[in-house]
Amino acid sequence: MAQLYTKVCLYLEANSKTWDDTKILLQDDGSGPYIKDWNIDGLAKPSDSQIASYETAGNTRESNNTVKKTRRKAYGDIGGQLDEIYKDIDAWKARIKKIKDDNPKG
Amino acid sequence: MSEIRVDTISEKTSANGVAIDGLTIKDGGCAALDAKPAVLVTNSGNQEIANNTNTLVTFDTETVDSDGAFASNTFTVPTGEDGMYGIFARGSMQGIDAGEFTQLRIYLNGSASSFFEARMTSHADNIEMKYSAGGFLNLAATNTIKMYWFQNSGDAQNLNTASLYIFKLGGTS
Repeated sequence: MAQLYTKVCLYLEANSKTWDDTKILLQDDGSGPYIKDWNIDGLAKPSDSQIASYETAGNTRESNNTVKKTRRKAYGDIGGQLDEIYKDIDAWKARIKKIKDDNPKG
Repeated sequence: MSEIRVDTISEKTSANGVAIDGLTIKDGGCAALDAKPAVLVTNSGNQEIANNTNTLVTFDTETVDSDGAFASNTFTVPTGEDGMYGIFARGSMQGIDAGEFTQLRIYLNGSASSFFEARMTSHADNIEMKYSAGGFLNLAATNTIKMYWFQNSGDAQNLNTASLYIFKLGGTS
């Protein structure tokens, strides 16, 4: 099940808004996460059904985020990559391609 | 020097206590602090914390609950126990990557108390965050204390070894 944060982000993006820690607060008091504070100008707090409508897209987003994280860790430090490029740019490209191929997005 | 020998000195008026103007404890003696109500609760397992969500920490073990003041993951100051309380909380979470953070908060009466907000940001990938936060607050009867945890790793993460320790130090200052 997609996390509430992910689904709220998708709702915001669908309405040309972005997440703002100072205006939105998600909380879980033991009965599941909910939107405790919502102060986005020009956009109403989403209803439960609106949130639920992003379930599939939320799962895809989270899966892709996991892939991106895995890729980023495998790419390594940017300084090290610059060194690889300087020494053998083709080898670097081949390594990056393999990481992408091994970790495809959904 | 005069001397009075008694077993107990009791307060004249309930809840007013006994005032002593200048007290010297001699011959290696000590003054024992009652330190109650006192609560020490822990969680023996993992608790999943959703991404970017302030989550109430749950506890499954009450090692100390002197006055039955802890229930439903909430400490409630008992009637007649207004005073200064020590509050200490700790927890540990793995899988936090560079730039991501975890945050421990103590909620007083349902709102985050600015006195107890500990945040730790990871400097590298897959770091275990293990820390505690504590301090002192004047509390009144029916005030509630809860522990919340937050993380923004992007995925749900497990909080483990969470504990909360609360004890009364003395009357309201």
